[in-house]
Amino acid sequence: MRLRPRHLRSRLTLWYVAMLASLLVLAWGSTCALLFWQLRTQLDHFAVQEIETVEGLFYFTPDGQLHMREDYHNHPESKDVIERYLEVLTTDGTVVFRNERLGNRSLDGATFSGEGIGGYSQRTSQLSDGTPVRLVSRVHVLEGRRLLIRLAHSEEPLLSRMKDLLLASLLVLPVVLAAAGLAGYTLARRALAPIEQMARRAQEITPERLDARLPNDYTDDELRQLAGVFNGTLARLETAFEQLRRFTADASHELRTPLAMIRSVGEVGLQKDGTRADYRDMVGSMLEEVNRLTSLIDNLLTISRADSGHIQLHRGVVPVLALAREAAAIFEILIEEKALQVTVEGEESPQVEGDYVFLRQAFVNVLHNAIKYSPVGGAIHVRVQRADGNQVLTEIEDNGPGIPLEDQPKIFDRFYRVDKARWRESGGAGLGLSIVKWTVEAHGGAVTLESKPTEGCTFRISLPSAPG
Amino acid sequence: MHSGVARPYKESVNILVVEDEQKMAKALREGLEADDYSVRVAHTGEEGFYLVQAQPFDLVILDVMLPGHDGFEILATLRKRGVKTPVLLLTSRDAVEDRVRGLDSGADDYLVKPFAFPELLARTRALLRRGSGDTSSRFKLADLEMDVAQRSVFRGGQSLDLTAREFDLLEYLFENRGRVVSREMLARDIWRETSRQTPLDNVIDAQIVRLRRKVDGQFAAKLLHTVRGVGFVLREGGES
Repeated sequence: MRLRPRHLRSRLTLWYVAMLASLLVLAWGSTCALLFWQLRTQLDHFAVQEIETVEGLFYFTPDGQLHMREDYHNHPESKDVIERYLEVLTTDGTVVFRNERLGNRSLDGATFSGEGIGGYSQRTSQLSDGTPVRLVSRVHVLEGRRLLIRLAHSEEPLLSRMKDLLLASLLVLPVVLAAAGLAGYTLARRALAPIEQMARRAQEITPERLDARLPNDYTDDELRQLAGVFNGTLARLETAFEQLRRFTADASHELRTPLAMIRSVGEVGLQKDGTRADYRDMVGSMLEEVNRLTSLIDNLLTISRADSGHIQLHRGVVPVLALAREAAAIFEILIEEKALQVTVEGEESPQVEGDYVFLRQAFVNVLHNAIKYSPVGGAIHVRVQRADGNQVLTEIEDNGPGIPLEDQPKIFDRFYRVDKARWRESGGAGLGLSIVKWTVEAHGGAVTLESKPTEGCTFRISLPSAPG
Repeated sequence: MHSGVARPYKESVNILVVEDEQKMAKALREGLEADDYSVRVAHTGEEGFYLVQAQPFDLVILDVMLPGHDGFEILATLRKRGVKTPVLLLTSRDAVEDRVRGLDSGADDYLVKPFAFPELLARTRALLRRGSGDTSSRFKLADLEMDVAQRSVFRGGQSLDLTAREFDLLEYLFENRGRVVSREMLARDIWRETSRQTPLDNVIDAQIVRLRRKVDGQFAAKLLHTVRGVGFVLREGGES
């Protein structure tokens, strides 16, 4: 397929023309064949009648010569009658009569066995000078002698008519096809023009210009659909790019903050002479920032692996209530220190299928969040129950300050912190809940937040129930 | 930086550090020497390879990222030649494949950079005493006494009432007395936490505060100290 044209419209036209050409050839060819067959049948028919007519005109002269009476003709004579060839043979193949038109040429040579017996033998043959003829033969008994009468008509007029017909079509066909091709090309180009336009527009869309969209005012449903699908993809890409951009910016900001502190502590420390204790304190302070950097990078690595799909979940059956209890147990001491009332209750039986380590991490993160923001003496309730649609629902409810309405949609975003000033003391980079969201969604579940400012908030983790 | 706790035979312990980054190599040498080990540093894999075969070492600390032949290759070649010296791998890639590959090529343990230095010292000790299995059941530091078998703790002859976790924590600090233990070590060894992402620091800090209240609270001489930015240490005397 090296000659395959590059443009769809040319290919369409080519296909169209090729199809039309083969259809035309087929139709024309069958018409010609049918015509030819009909004309020849007519000729045969006529020849059969003629044989019967001439049979009655033959007679033997007293010296045994075969003659034909020529006095029956009406005038003017039929062309076919004039142009017929006539030959009579005896059963042993001796030629006893040839008409004037035939002269001394042989009409189809020797006889073959069964020729003209019990019916008319019709066939196509050639005279010795190459004239194609249509021939009918029949055996008749004349005055007690068996004679084979052969009667033929030249096929030349028939063939030349056919030839003219084919020649005419050969002349007409290219013209028709050229016209059709032109029309087809124009049509295809017109039909494909919006696609070309789309392609041009799409080509202009770069990562920097992802907000551009394809025009969506096409009248054709298919094109509108295509543009719609394309625009949808673009929108998703734009969101993804935007998230990535923000993620990179946020990540560098988060990395920069501890680095800035390490730097200032070090530089300020070197400017003045301090006591041994001062230096220890300084180095310790720098190390604290290093620890923060380390855990930040650990989290970033986890997230980037999650994003690239490199995290493999080791699935097993996980009892949810036990998971919640274990998560709460980790924070036992913090709960005591803050004098929190933490209850974990619900059904023992609900189980989910998932990676124990990751699910535990998710529960721990949500609970840690609740503990962090709960006031001293506050209450946290964890409830595990079955829910509609074969789900296991875990609710984690606290009576902390709640989350302002405008922050709620962003709470699961990376690096998002409601209280930006407070993060150092509460010690998080705003990645915990985004890891929760990723984990829960990777398990086919969903996590939602319901919060009324000043009345605390409720996180709902819904996970598909394990079969069995 | 160490207390007067007797550490016999330490000087005779030879450690080879194979690390191409000068700063890291210097820190490792000084840190290990401060803990009374005798340290040799090789800056390339080839040099390290030659040294291991030339003289006996008790432990090799091998960086994975080396110019030329990387740590995995060197380790595999050494093992193929029948060198059985314990090897602690240092890797900056915390990928599962790396761990598997490291342990497959014959490493005895690995540490992911950046690591806490107390962690490195703890792993080093663990590798050196592997198989000796001498864990004592009675500890004493100043007037603080602990009997692990009896699960009892006394300070100045007074019995202290510790929870199970506090007891484990104190035992761990006793086992490492005079040395700083990091939060990561506590998370892994006491809380049995495998994930580095679990926010345990607040929990550990709170637990230490409580233990200190019980152990040091009413006594003038403080034994349980916080080393800022690093971790905690059980020893007599304040600074250093």
